[in-house]
Amino acid sequence: MSATATHGSVKTFGKGGIHPGPNKGMTSGKPIEDIPPPKEVRLPLVQHLGEPATMIVKKGDLVRRGQKIADGGATGAPLHATISGKVKPLDRYPHPTLVMSQAIVITRTEGEGTEELEFPEDPAWRGVSREEALERIREAGIVGLGGAAFPTFRKLTLPEGVKLDTLILNGAECEPYLTSDYRIMLAHPVEIVEGAMVMARILGVKRAIIGVESDKPEAAAKLEAAAAGAERGDVKIEVGMCQARYPQGAERQLVHALTGRVMPARALPSAVRVLVQNVATAVAVHDAVRYRKPLLDRVVTVTGPGIREPKNVRVPIGTLLADLVAFGGGFHKGVTRVVAGGPMMGRSLPRLDIPVIKGLNGLVLLTGVSPFEGGYGPCIGCTRCVEACPLGLEPDQVSVRVEAGRQLETEPFGAIDCYECGCCTYVCPSSRPLVQFMQVAKASLRRAGELRIRK
Amino acid sequence: MSDEVLLTPEHPLVVSPGPHLHAAESTAKIMWWVNGTLAPAALWGAFVFGPKALVVIACCVAGAVAAEWGCCAGMKRRNTVSDGSAFCTGLLLALTIGAQVQWWQALLGGAFAVLIGKVIFGGLGFNLFNPALVGRAFMMATFPLAMTSGWISPRPWFSLAPDALTTATPLNVLKEHGLAAAVKVVTSPEGLWNGLVLGFRPGSIGEVSVVLVLLGGAVLVARGIIRLWIPLSVVAGTALATAFTGAAGLHLLSGGLWLGAFYMATDYVTSPTTRNGQVVFGLIIGLLTGLIRVYGGYPEGICYAILLANTLVPALNLWFRPRRTAIAGSPS
Repeated sequence: MSATATHGSVKTFGKGGIHPGPNKGMTSGKPIEDIPPPKEVRLPLVQHLGEPATMIVKKGDLVRRGQKIADGGATGAPLHATISGKVKPLDRYPHPTLVMSQAIVITRTEGEGTEELEFPEDPAWRGVSREEALERIREAGIVGLGGAAFPTFRKLTLPEGVKLDTLILNGAECEPYLTSDYRIMLAHPVEIVEGAMVMARILGVKRAIIGVESDKPEAAAKLEAAAAGAERGDVKIEVGMCQARYPQGAERQLVHALTGRVMPARALPSAVRVLVQNVATAVAVHDAVRYRKPLLDRVVTVTGPGIREPKNVRVPIGTLLADLVAFGGGFHKGVTRVVAGGPMMGRSLPRLDIPVIKGLNGLVLLTGVSPFEGGYGPCIGCTRCVEACPLGLEPDQVSVRVEAGRQLETEPFGAIDCYECGCCTYVCPSSRPLVQFMQVAKASLRRAGELRIRK
Repeated sequence: MSDEVLLTPEHPLVVSPGPHLHAAESTAKIMWWVNGTLAPAALWGAFVFGPKALVVIACCVAGAVAAEWGCCAGMKRRNTVSDGSAFCTGLLLALTIGAQVQWWQALLGGAFAVLIGKVIFGGLGFNLFNPALVGRAFMMATFPLAMTSGWISPRPWFSLAPDALTTATPLNVLKEHGLAAAVKVVTSPEGLWNGLVLGFRPGSIGEVSVVLVLLGGAVLVARGIIRLWIPLSVVAGTALATAFTGAAGLHLLSGGLWLGAFYMATDYVTSPTTRNGQVVFGLIIGLLTGLIRVYGGYPEGICYAILLANTLVPALNLWFRPRRTAIAGSPS
């Protein structure tokens, strides 16, 4: 079999986007480090939108790292103990996105009965059936690790009549500061390629493209080598170079850049016969199918001007952010914001006794006054937001109408299609919270649509 | 150091939605860049027309800034003088009028521009018309003689010649005496180069040096503050409308065309927000400028052309939408 991985030319999406100064240099050169096992992990039953998992262990039980402790039912992903220890009573704890949620807390204990479970290789892993592979992915509790955290087995189960031809692996990582996917691509290129092939077989597609931004040439080279060396059957795996530009990693933008296909408004990539998975998810899929290994850890970039030693850290899911910050040497002076996720789309958190959930890819510690703290001025009609919007929407027109209480008149300007990348807000010289105006308009338009339907 | 010290930020953590980063651009920064790029043309105007030009500039700016400050204070609003927009309005107004205008007229014009051109609409961002041109239109209506006659002849700064030495602008000559006479003026001793390019000719303070206005405009383009769509289409429209007169070249090089094209028509607030809208807007301005110059009562046309086109902006914003990258229900 000949190698078909190609570099091709550098591709990108149609319009808009920004260059927010990557700031990736703080951690891009730092290999993934393992955090020492924390004293306690908190595993929220809700790790993603959808049905919460149901606890299947009891308080006081001794559990081993790798053991299933909650099941996700038909729509959710199961949850596993990420350290060995004793289960505390189920209670409500702070959650990174839901404010509070029920979480299983495990306190670390060592000794007999608490050894880590082992996950030996299944020698026949390449030959497993589609159904078996999907089941292993479900059992492993894998969710999309790029941030959205949708259960992976559900994404890979195509609805009746949907036929795909291309799998895209998202290695664009366009958010400033974040380098966790980059370091995963450097450390696990073979697992990414194998994971891609497992998913391609499940989906019945013959082509997989790994999208990498052009500022990560080493990652692209490693993936190409891995793709060339892999036993690929009839699946063709390519590395597609994309321009380093935010939001290149958004599904709609990545699909456009790599395939030239334009997704219809409000549609999923399957509308253009594509499915997108994050590169870290591919590694987890590989581990699940080959070793039946559940998703226990994830890589988080801990970075920003507010941390002493910025790092890429592999942490057990459920590790408290405070442990992560401590592992990064603690705060630098002047920390004002702790952002969960990237600085463009992440939200800042009020406290650190919050656990790392499956979808968290970065913790960015920012110093100084928030650029939006001083309030905002009127729209001066500079059109920067119109030029920056990758969707061709008009945040300016939406914002002035929302300010005037005329949300329902924003329909022609596209608020309903906004996926909240924040480019408009980033460029606004009046520091207007344009993406928040878009959210308000979107909510109003949706509500009005629902009312219409009910009538 | 203990863990606790390491983990305690000195201030409470700020909770806010994304984005947490912002481009290093602000309204005030943009306005002061515009003011800065106008400075060479303004200083050149002062050099060509003498101290009276400086008085006019100072009075226009003072009138505009005082009006802004007074309104903010009177309405107990946040003082917006420092954002540079009132300064910009005053400066632009001064550059569109001649140095022969009286100081108190300039002061009134500047104040009117900000009050009626901007503040009564709700302040920066809410006005329909370019405030500087509202000020100029006001002065044309109120002080027609001072605005259209008594143009100060260009002269060296230290010349002792009296101010009374007045003359007509090239567009005046074109209007009153026809193309042949105008061509004679611009190809006369002063010459095409000296008169129309360097700016040793009678005219408004800021329009005489096309070169410096273009330089300022180029800086704004390079700095990403304005796009070329509007200026190019304004100039193209004017060329189109005046081509049949045989004097298109003269029209392009005289009057306030370039100042209008680069600094007035591109006013963010009063121009369309999409590229196609901007091109149509610019063409309308250019065509109207040509029509007014050829058929109108005044030799100059760009001021009214822009004000008229300003009225179309809300409609242009509705008619010309950006192309959405996702078309509803149309898989490729």
